[in-house]
Order: sequence, then structure tokens, then C-alpha cells
Amino acid sequence: MRGFKLDGLKLGALLWAAGLALPFALDSSWVSIAAFFAIYAITALSEDVILGRAGMFDMGHAVYFGIGAYVTAILNTTLNVPILLTLPLAMLLAAAAGALLSAPLIRLRGDYLLVATIGFNAIFVLAMQNNPGGITGGSDGITGIGVPSLFGLQLESQSAMFWLDWVLLGLVLLVMRNLDACEFGRALRYLKQDELAASTLGVDARKVKTLAFALGAALAGLAGTLFAVQLSTVSPSSFVFTESVTLFAIVIVGGQGSIPGVLLGTALMFVVPQIFRGLAEYRYFVFGIAMIAVMVLRPQGLLPRRRSAA
Amino acid sequence: MTALLELDGIGISFGGLRAVDDLSFTVNQGQIVGLIGPNGAGKTTVFNMITGVYKPASGTIRWQGNDITGAKPARIATLGLRRTFQTIRLFADMSVFENVRAGCHLAARQHWWQGLLALPAQRREEAELAARTHDILRRLDLEGVADTPATSLPYGVQRRVELARTLAGQPRLIILDEPAAGLNDAESAALNDTIFMIRDTGVTILLVEHDMNVVMQVSDHIVVINFGRKIAEGNATAIRTNPAVIEAYLGRDDDEATAA
Repeated sequence: MRGFKLDGLKLGALLWAAGLALPFALDSSWVSIAAFFAIYAITALSEDVILGRAGMFDMGHAVYFGIGAYVTAILNTTLNVPILLTLPLAMLLAAAAGALLSAPLIRLRGDYLLVATIGFNAIFVLAMQNNPGGITGGSDGITGIGVPSLFGLQLESQSAMFWLDWVLLGLVLLVMRNLDACEFGRALRYLKQDELAASTLGVDARKVKTLAFALGAALAGLAGTLFAVQLSTVSPSSFVFTESVTLFAIVIVGGQGSIPGVLLGTALMFVVPQIFRGLAEYRYFVFGIAMIAVMVLRPQGLLPRRRSAA
Repeated sequence: MTALLELDGIGISFGGLRAVDDLSFTVNQGQIVGLIGPNGAGKTTVFNMITGVYKPASGTIRWQGNDITGAKPARIATLGLRRTFQTIRLFADMSVFENVRAGCHLAARQHWWQGLLALPAQRREEAELAARTHDILRRLDLEGVADTPATSLPYGVQRRVELARTLAGQPRLIILDEPAAGLNDAESAALNDTIFMIRDTGVTILLVEHDMNVVMQVSDHIVVINFGRKIAEGNATAIRTNPAVIEAYLGRDDDEATAA
């Protein structure tokens, strides 16, 4: 294998391919954890578009994740729309919400944007609890969400659902990688670094930032659909403010704008707690200390973004 | 000679202080125009108004005869007007190549979705713009540091990177805000050559310097301002002997003033 170099893409592709074999190696409860990992990884990557790449302090990202989940839940349980058909609609509605909610706030400075997005999250949870028009099921949420079917095949086993999640995670990872190498993705970085310098180069800050919010929200909406399918139920408690905080922390602790960093962050925040379930509440204590330690010792994150060469 | 940029009676105040007042001058196509004045005369404020960072409170700015007063920076950039900053504003986390590549932003025709899908047309455009960037790096002798983090370089090189970034936008007019600040004598001399080299490619240049020597050597036309007002205008020889300019730079002779 002359000239073979194991770069990030090849290593990532290998790990992803190896991941496909997980259902043969693990029992079903672990396969379900792996499925949740894929779903939360997509959500964290979608937060990274807004927070890590564009540098906008979105502390209400669970809203878009929630919109995706509710769109699928409502359409599937009330109108019997097939799951995979609800997926593009979930992405579209989440994207529209992201663009509309962020549009008036896009010029706000980081800290103000952060407070405003917390407000969105509070309103969203409250709205879902209040069961508007009798469609969200109030605090209990919606149950009995169906399973996706592909070419007439019912993806009802945990393994089949995992594969669906894993394939979509792979696609999202490709999109994130492309984002790094396209003008839109670079414009986000220019704006994050120096908005004035970027605008004198012709970067339309309002347009680019709104688009970033829409893209981040769309990917979160996609994860929301998968989440609704995985649990076969949705309720407001899955999309509360603390979920947004966790997503925010994953990006900061893992490494802003870094795909491996965000994946590691997701694993640490979602998978490790499952392993230490026995420790009950103590794990959050350990977590808190670990987060503080990372921020003090490694403020750029565990696996920071590498400077890309020409 | 055709007028590229015209300032017509522009003015702006900050908290009661008239920073720029009723200022008019014209930059013609192909010229090197110097805007000079003592520290705090309002030079950078003028640049900020031209490039849309500040909106003038009065007066009109015209680009090829069209009113562009108060247009946003991103819109000004689309006209082919680029600037450098007095305090260098390079993207800190990026290499020299990435910084200069950023100057090509408006040349990119790709849509965001083409980028996310890495479609062939987008990949082709990326290759073209990378080639354009390397071409500019070569012209400004920056090829050797292309992969170096931009802000880790010496000050003089950073200034050249910022200049390269403006050129990547294939500008009609570039505005240089104190390009010689912080440069040593050798770098300063090299800068003069670079300015002429840029002008010879058909780019019009407007530069601010409080260092008179640089301006005198390169400018075809010089505008002198003090306390936000124009006090003189002309070529280097006329400016050098203008009593108002000498007074602004050296101050009035107090004995003479009391005697009078």
C-alpha cells in the first residue's frame, strides 16, 4: 500500500464502517445506547454549526431537536404519515423555525443572543406542555409513534433502527466535512473571527448567519425524527433547557468546529453516563469537576480543530 | 481622468465632537491619493465612512457617479472597494493562505448547497480560487509562509498578508490605513515598490499615513486634513510648501503669534 496515509477522513470512514458491526457484537441495550449516541452526535454536530463554526451562542438548541421530534410524532400518530416521509418535513420546519427565530436576533452580541435563545427554549417547552390545539399531548407528550419502513421493510428491530441512525450520522458527517471546504463554511469562520474584517471582504453577515441557524436547526430536526422513532414517544421533558446546556457543553468541551472533538464530547456526555449508571447522581458530580478541569486546562477543547493546510 | 470615488461635503460627529466636517475630495481612476494629517485629524474616520463602517451624518459619497452614502460594508465590497486596517485585522486562527483566500469570497459563485454536497462545479471553483490565491501569494512574496499561522508572523509580513487579502478580491480601489506603521526602513522602502506594483496593475489606491515621507514619495495627489477639515490639497511639492500644512504639522511659532 504505497503512499497510503491514514488521514482524518480515512480513519473516520474506517471507524464508521466498523460501527456498522456493533449490533453483532453488543446486546440490544448497548445497541440502543449506540443508537442514542448517533442521534445525539447529529444533534451536537448541528449545534456545532451555529456555536462552534459561526460562533453564535445558541443556548436553546433543544428547541429544533424538539420540533423535529414533534413533527414526526404528530404527523405519524394523527395522519399516519410514514416516518421517513416526515423526516424532510421535520428538517424543513426546524430550519424555518431556526431562520425565523434567529432573524431578529442575529445582530445581537454573544451574551444577549444566549439569553434570548434560553427564552426560546422556555417558551417551546411551555407551549408543548400546554397542548396547543390538542396536538402535542401536554406534559405526557405523544406515544405510539410507528417504526420507519424502507422499501416495504419494517425497521422495527433495535439493530435496524441503529443502522438507520448510523447511516444518517455518516451522511451528516460528510456534510460537516464538506462544510469545512466550501465558501459558506469558511464565511462562518470569518464572521466568528472578525465580523468587521469579514464584512469588508463582502461577507453578508445577516444572510450567512441566518443560513447557519437554518442548517443547524435542520440537522437537529433530523436528529429529532430519529429520537422520536427510537423512543416511540416524545414529551416536553426531552427538550428542556438543560438538554440545550448539555449540547452547548459538548461543543465547548469537545472542541469548537472540530468533528472528532464533538463526537468525543458526545460520547463523554451521553455514553459514559450510561456506563456509570450505578453511580447514580454522583456521576454528575464527577462530570461537573471534569468539565471545569477541561475548561481550565484545555480551554480550546479536548480535540480542538486543527489548522488546515493549503 | 474619470472620477472613481467622490466625497462631497461629508461629516460625522461623535458625542458632540465634529470628527469630520464638510470634507470633499475626489479619487480619480489609476491615481495614488494620499490622505494625511496629524494624529487624531480624522483620517481613519473618513475611511470608515467610505467603507460603510460609519454612516456619514451629512454629505454624499459617490462611486462612479452613484450615491453609495451609508451603504453597508458588505455592499461596498461588492463595488470592488477593499481596505486594510490601521491595527491589522487578520483572521487569527487561520494560515496565511486561508487569510488571502478569504479575499476571494465575492468571487465564489457556488451556492451553499453545492458546497455541502461537494458537487463537481463547486470543487472546480475551489481549485480555481486556490490557484488565484497562490498567484497573489507569489506576487507578494508570501508563498514561503502560505501554511504559517498568519498572526504568528512579524508585523511587516502581516501587513503584506492583509494587502494580499485585499488584492485577492480583484479590487478597483484599495484603501490602505497607515500601511507603513510599525515597519522598519527596509520594509517601508519595499512597501513603496509594492504600492507602485499594485497601481501598475490598474488598481487605484487611497492611502492614509501620518508619516509624510511615505505619502510624499508615492502619491500623485495629496489631501491634508486637520481637526476633520480639509486644509490643503495638491501634489507633493505644493503640499510641502503650504503654510497651513506646515503649521498643522509643526505648530504655530508662539513668539510670532504673540508678537502679531
